[in-house]
Amino acid sequence: MDENNGHDDVLVIGAGMAGIEASLRLALAGRHVHLVEESPCFGGSVIRFEDIYPNMDCATCMIAPLQQDLLQNASIDLLTLSRVEKVSGNAGKFKVRVKKKASYVSAETCIGCGMCFEACPVSLDNDFEEGMAQRKAIYVPAAGALPNVPSIDTDNCLRFKGEECNACIEACMFEAIVMDDKDEVLDLDVAAILVATGYGLMDLKPMKRFGYGKVPDVLSSVAFARLYASNGPTEGELKLRSGDAPSSVAVVQCVGREETGYCSAVCCLNSLKFAHYVDHKLPDAAVHVLHTDMCVPGKTHQRFRDKMVEHGADLVFATDVKVGKGSPGVKIAYKDGAGKAAELKVDMVVLAPAFVPSEGSKELADILGVPLDGTGFFAQGGNGGGPVSTAKEGIYVAGCATGPKGISQVVMEADMAVAAILTGTDGGVS
Amino acid sequence: MARRIGFFICECGPNIGENVDIDAVLNAVEDMDDVVLAARFGLMCSGPGKDFLKANIKTEKLTHLVVAACSPKQHELTFMEVCEDSGINPFLFQLTNIREQVAWVTKDKEEATEKTIRLAKAAIRRVRYHDPLSKTALAVNADVLVIGGGVAGMAAALRLASPERRVHLVERSSSLGGRVVAQGPIYPTMASGGEMATAMVDLVEGNDWIVVHRYSEVSVVVGFFGNFEVVVTGELEDGGTLETKVNVGAGVVATGAEVLEGKPLEDLGHGSIDGVVSSAELEAMLADGSIGGKGGKAPKSVAFVQCVGRDEVGYCSEICCMNSAKQARLLLEAAKGAKVHILYRDLCVPGRDQQAFLEGAVKAGANLVRTTSVEVGGSKGGITVSHSLGDGKAEKLMVDMVVLSPAMVPPTGTEGMAEMLNVELDPSGFLLEAHAKLEPMAAGIDGIYLAGSASGPRSVSDSIVQAEACAGRVLSSLIPGRTIEPEIRVSHILETLCTGCQTCLEVCCYGAIVYDPMKNVSHINAAICRGCGNCVAACPSNAISLYHFTYKQLYQEIVEAIR
Repeated sequence: MDENNGHDDVLVIGAGMAGIEASLRLALAGRHVHLVEESPCFGGSVIRFEDIYPNMDCATCMIAPLQQDLLQNASIDLLTLSRVEKVSGNAGKFKVRVKKKASYVSAETCIGCGMCFEACPVSLDNDFEEGMAQRKAIYVPAAGALPNVPSIDTDNCLRFKGEECNACIEACMFEAIVMDDKDEVLDLDVAAILVATGYGLMDLKPMKRFGYGKVPDVLSSVAFARLYASNGPTEGELKLRSGDAPSSVAVVQCVGREETGYCSAVCCLNSLKFAHYVDHKLPDAAVHVLHTDMCVPGKTHQRFRDKMVEHGADLVFATDVKVGKGSPGVKIAYKDGAGKAAELKVDMVVLAPAFVPSEGSKELADILGVPLDGTGFFAQGGNGGGPVSTAKEGIYVAGCATGPKGISQVVMEADMAVAAILTGTDGGVS
Repeated sequence: MARRIGFFICECGPNIGENVDIDAVLNAVEDMDDVVLAARFGLMCSGPGKDFLKANIKTEKLTHLVVAACSPKQHELTFMEVCEDSGINPFLFQLTNIREQVAWVTKDKEEATEKTIRLAKAAIRRVRYHDPLSKTALAVNADVLVIGGGVAGMAAALRLASPERRVHLVERSSSLGGRVVAQGPIYPTMASGGEMATAMVDLVEGNDWIVVHRYSEVSVVVGFFGNFEVVVTGELEDGGTLETKVNVGAGVVATGAEVLEGKPLEDLGHGSIDGVVSSAELEAMLADGSIGGKGGKAPKSVAFVQCVGRDEVGYCSEICCMNSAKQARLLLEAAKGAKVHILYRDLCVPGRDQQAFLEGAVKAGANLVRTTSVEVGGSKGGITVSHSLGDGKAEKLMVDMVVLSPAMVPPTGTEGMAEMLNVELDPSGFLLEAHAKLEPMAAGIDGIYLAGSASGPRSVSDSIVQAEACAGRVLSSLIPGRTIEPEIRVSHILETLCTGCQTCLEVCCYGAIVYDPMKNVSHINAAICRGCGNCVAACPSNAISLYHFTYKQLYQEIVEAIR
């Protein structure tokens, strides 16, 4: 495939939905792809959700074939635990420096049996599970994460703290633990670069009115999604901190919309999906969705909304939402559609925070020499091109790196970027 | 030649080795018919493991291979490659999964061993009945058919056309440009839609690799990805028609959407009350200068009514809130101090830039009113708009003009188009995508793509993104000079048994089966079939079978598994 000695290689930054789609399509077209991912696994935000609206497809199953293709594709170098450190040059001939952190596990010999993490004596909060479960110092973020090869978190491994510990080395029957693994620096020549770094979620703590971190059983949307996930911390049981099942759940929309100044496009549907989650697992529990504008754009989404209402979801127009401790449970004060003060008492509150630029966007933009826009997302079309072009020729951007959007739009942008890269011109007309 | 089957069990380190009595498995299978070797190895997928297999294939002159190891997802291809390298047809191989399906889940070792023996015997028995299958390569035609000459169709055509790839752009009307060509500024950039579309028309007309078929419709599409035969029927000036045959490898459907008409609008006074217009009519007045612009007049008070027909169609048309915000801005620019109300149900402004754009309209003077129901009536001094507020109270507005924002609906002819292309419709009547999330730009038929509002209401910019995504798919998979390898494990019909009942046609999801009335039999196009097996199960006369999943193979496998 590498007929041009790397001169038409492509660098894709971020192995979420956009990065995976673009990498697979570019590889299919005969391009060699270097796919750089900061975390130890690929799949991005999607793999945290078990089901996807509106058809309730299992997200993990949905993207598993793509992940499998990625793992088996000889034209794609999958660089996990990696970061882009330096970029120079211009379209057609960029020089890129990537730093790949040592994982201390040989991907060639490891079979992913998990004996090493069972043996590891260290235990700490698993960020992937929003701290609701523990992981070891040698770990994969969640069952089913791919590649199914653990890595050592050197901040927490006893050996890296100077202590004596051979637990994982002894547990591994395949001698796959490589303690003298070294960080690598890769210098790549690429013709084009695609930024597919996705989004982050608004930090809930500073918005004190929502009670996050203070009031028990007030969760972020991601935490709730993990509770529902069968590979999550409760193996799919929706439960309160006490261990009991909630008898009522409220999902609060537009958390942080005032601060960001935009609508995050997918949260209403995501919250309706949460109503389905509750209905599915706890059919007797009440579900309230507190919303401002119910945003269900497109030909299928209102049907999904209507179906959730049929299934008993209580849609409540609510502004000025304040979340506080109830006795017991959680109390929500809000203003209703007529502007009158109202109150709701529930066992559990799920907050739907706004999408924000992913961490490190500014740093990466500086390295690439492309601008961010006023909201902190990557600016689109600065080169007079379409929405997947940046101010710099040869550098493209797709997916939520430019703002909140749903999976289908992300995939379309990824394929648009592929079209632009394969024809060597920026998307042009809009 | 006699069969010589080799059976190999992988210990997968301790994963299988510690949970299954491997010697017991080897003992149980070694006397089976045609088994000439039963052996174990520590890690079969490793380099030494593959070499071990190759060496044994050679020395034992094996003709068939069975490996008991992990999931086929992990290493089926690995061992099929070993077969190919060793001169065995890769389909004379069977992998049985004794790790994920036994060692990792069956805790009791005796039980696990017993289960492994059953699976191993089933695989061995099955492989005896395997047939060698070979890949075929088909040459592809890289040309592309684009149906619809609006911005989506033109964007796809412009991206795809090249000296190696001709594009046939088929447009029903006399001219290219679609709806956008008549538009003024479009959100969010407020650049002129008309100018943009006209510039695209010029590019298309100046492109040597795009063949534009005007006054034309596509009347026949048959074939499969890489090789479609298309008939384009054009209308001649004398009233006659001209049929042109073109061959393409893929098609892009960019037939757009229409705006809802009729009762929902009439109920709000459209057609009966002066000054009640649709958003499209206002767009035309803004574009031709009869409202706003130099010498144009401008209403002093306007009420936009959103979601007209939303209940009837059952969905939100996505673009109307933003469109009304834009038109409000234009009206307020034309008549400073005018009163503009936007009566909405739920504001739909998804994404990074939309809310800021809407707020721009509010800053310019637009008044957003959340309401649950609206009535429009005529009166002497203007138009009365009564609507109810959140608290159930009603409010009355007197305005000069009412702008109705009707739902977007599938264009006439969509059903026929769907039938011709064998593409399904969704419950709203738009063309259905192959997968709402992962393949929103593709139809369920390989090689047919969907661009713009053909698959649902879309803004101009989103339509272009989708058109470009279609192009991305075509450019990455339909490459001039390359061949494509169709699926090998496909169904075929034994003509002598077929009664021509056509049950199979009804259950085929891929349009792979055609009925031949002359011979009264059905025929499966192997290049389209994906091997799902629906037709095999449905055929009442057992005339259909699926290569590599024949009745005999499955029966023999099951007999051994449940013995």
